[in-house]
Amino acid sequence: MDRRGFVTGAAALAAAAVGGLARGQSQRAPVARRSLLTCTAQFDPARPEIARLVAQACKSIGWEVQANPMDYNQGIQKVIMEHDFEMYLVYFPGTSIRIDPDFFIRGVHDSSEDKRGGFNWMGYHSPQVDALATAQARLMKVGERHKPVVDAQSAIFADQPGTVLVYSQMTMAHRSDKLSGLVPQLGEGIGGFWSDINMRATGDGYSRSGANADVKHLNPIAVVDSTEFAELSILYDRLLRLDPSGKPVPWAASAMKFVDDKTIDLTIRSDMHWHDGKPVTADDVKFSFDYHKQWKAPFFLTALNNVASVELPDAHTVRIKLDNPSAPFVSNVLATMFIVPRHIWEGVAASGDPLRFANEKPVGSGPFKLDYWRRGSELKMSAFKAHFNAPKCAGIIRIVYGSQDALATAIANGECDRTRYVLTPALVDRLKTVKNVVAKGYPSHGLYHLSYNNRIKPFDDPAFRQALNFIMPRQMISQLVLLGYADPGASIISPTNDAWHNSAIKVPPENVKMARDLLSKAGYSWDAQGRLLSRA
Amino acid sequence: MTLYLARRTMSSLITLLGVAVILFVLFRMMPGDPTAQVISPALDQAAQARLKHAFGLDLPLWQQFFIYLKNMLTLQWGQSFTTGQSVAALLGHWLLNTMLLMSAGLVLAVVIGVVLGILMAARRGGVLDHVATVAGLVFQAAPPFVIAIVLLIAFSYKLELLPSSGMVAAGTDDAGTWAMLTSADFLKHLILPTITIGAVYVATPMLVMRDSMLEVLGSDFVEFARAKGLRPSRVLFGHAARNALLAVVTVSSLILGFAIGGQIVIETVFSWPGMGKAMVDAALQHDYPVAQAAFFLMAVVVIVMNLLTDLSYSLLDPRIRFGTT
Repeated sequence: MDRRGFVTGAAALAAAAVGGLARGQSQRAPVARRSLLTCTAQFDPARPEIARLVAQACKSIGWEVQANPMDYNQGIQKVIMEHDFEMYLVYFPGTSIRIDPDFFIRGVHDSSEDKRGGFNWMGYHSPQVDALATAQARLMKVGERHKPVVDAQSAIFADQPGTVLVYSQMTMAHRSDKLSGLVPQLGEGIGGFWSDINMRATGDGYSRSGANADVKHLNPIAVVDSTEFAELSILYDRLLRLDPSGKPVPWAASAMKFVDDKTIDLTIRSDMHWHDGKPVTADDVKFSFDYHKQWKAPFFLTALNNVASVELPDAHTVRIKLDNPSAPFVSNVLATMFIVPRHIWEGVAASGDPLRFANEKPVGSGPFKLDYWRRGSELKMSAFKAHFNAPKCAGIIRIVYGSQDALATAIANGECDRTRYVLTPALVDRLKTVKNVVAKGYPSHGLYHLSYNNRIKPFDDPAFRQALNFIMPRQMISQLVLLGYADPGASIISPTNDAWHNSAIKVPPENVKMARDLLSKAGYSWDAQGRLLSRA
Repeated sequence: MTLYLARRTMSSLITLLGVAVILFVLFRMMPGDPTAQVISPALDQAAQARLKHAFGLDLPLWQQFFIYLKNMLTLQWGQSFTTGQSVAALLGHWLLNTMLLMSAGLVLAVVIGVVLGILMAARRGGVLDHVATVAGLVFQAAPPFVIAIVLLIAFSYKLELLPSSGMVAAGTDDAGTWAMLTSADFLKHLILPTITIGAVYVATPMLVMRDSMLEVLGSDFVEFARAKGLRPSRVLFGHAARNALLAVVTVSSLILGFAIGGQIVIETVFSWPGMGKAMVDAALQHDYPVAQAAFFLMAVVVIVMNLLTDLSYSLLDPRIRFGTT
């Protein structure tokens, strides 16, 4: 080889090496495969199916997601306690304390709730949302509070720390030949308080309401689950009640007045009695607050830590002073916490820990009183005729069925009049064909939510999360998995909660091209096999 | 006999100790934090610590083990994490319900199985022999919930003869356990679940009795009894059956073990508030006190029933003496 040939060859080699290096530097890694945690079908038949549909949809943008159902309690531990997850499909039931927007705005999205056991397991941090969340919680007037709630929904929707998939209905059934006068209630369907006191039952006047699990206890101090709340809410009274649309209305307190933003005066009715005949007094109400706080009732702990004092300016008035203004206090404490008799619960505390007291013979002042409780079988409650709003039926017999199928069959046969809670959509569809059975979906503010762990890639990128919003198979989930008993979702507050819902937020179209365009603009690309590649 | 009883009691206690150790280890290996069920993370640290201390969950594992062992063996089973009720009271209630159901069903299975087994052996190769063998195997192979649902459809939904669920009709006043158990309503509710259990377990005693009878019927003493001119029924039931029963007794104690553990399906279908569903719920909810005590109690029942079975041998066969060589 001559000198010229050698130089030419060396130059070509060098050029090839530089070109190879440049190509190597521009090659990006595929977006990491992620695991979508959810519960097993035994706990909720819908969620594993929804997870599989979401995983399938993610393939349309070249990204691999694997659905991973696991034991419900194990999932709670990993996600809520340890934050050890990537994606989590969760169902937020429409319970009464979630009608107030504070839960979905501040509880789920405020950065202070990013803690072990907190509801901001996504680890979402937004100064804008934090400011709006704090503001809405402190504004006691509904008119003033509305704007920050609406603005917070817009900010959350734009950021997509998690994606709202669908709003579900409460699928329930009852026999029209046995019961009349049922009053559907937001988040509780026909199994709630207003149906309990307004319904009439044929025959012996008792309604037979079916459930799939027995209550664990009847302790109003230790209560945390909706199963126990449902029965305690008719055995005990509250200062206020949430009406069927979710607005607080007077109950044991005949009037409520805001002295200032941190002071609430409640006038207690003088015509109430405990089931043992003793009168209910303002002192019992003060005792109830002090007792819940002293024994750290788990459900009300955080809210009651904001109570500075409870005073009795006169025999019929209770004055509550808060450390800070708290808008959710009205719905989530005054309309949720139970009034308990001092003459019973002082004795409970004297003999042990009230949180571990089963309270199998409860003495409340509610519209129903307990007749007996056969553990695992039934709970019989009769109307308390001396109540100021006595029920129209003779009573309720709460029957435990071993499975949803057994409950549905009992409704079909007439052995049971009403479902206390939700039946699966498939069973409700089956009951639609049975004579004298009304089986349908009732409005609920519950929703299925896809939570992303905002602390890890690629969910730390808002553009990526926003793109995902356009590929979610909402229609398929609503129609195929939930059999039409759900609607595609967008805002974190459901349209059924029309007092607080931001109607300007629309359900995004399912549009893969829009998702890809968003990703491209954000710097993502795809390889020759169609795999989504990370940003440079 | 006394020596035999002492030896059996000692070995039973060792078995129970092994069961207790295994239960302790297994439940603590389960994923998930049991305290999450009962100690709200919203509680402040002091309150969480107080509750953990109350439940004994703040102690080192080895200390928890010895406390657990002592409590288990002295029947101090504490309080349920989820209901706050005494575990002993809860289990007593559920165990009674399960024992009633199981006893009725197994007695039915064994009685019918034994009688059929005798008749099948007496008419070996006949129509009854073939039909009963096939039917028994079909029932044994079929999932219990299928049998239960078929019976429900037939007797409860179509013919409306029997109730579909529960122990007594809903709304009957709570007159006490004894009054309930001796009521016609309770017996009516017991029929379908009892028939289900009977159908599921009839095959084993039936076929074992048949085979045992065939062996005994070929024995010399049976020939002698026939030669003496005894009636065939007396030969069959008075002489042969008694000797053939020993094998059924052995197998019955095995069936008992399976039956105790397998009630969950039947209890679920018939909404019978028994141990099966309670044990599953307790395990899933990490309600350690209830779950551990329930499984331990099941082990005690199986061990005691096995001991009683062994002791019954000497009643059936006077040649059997315990502790003799």
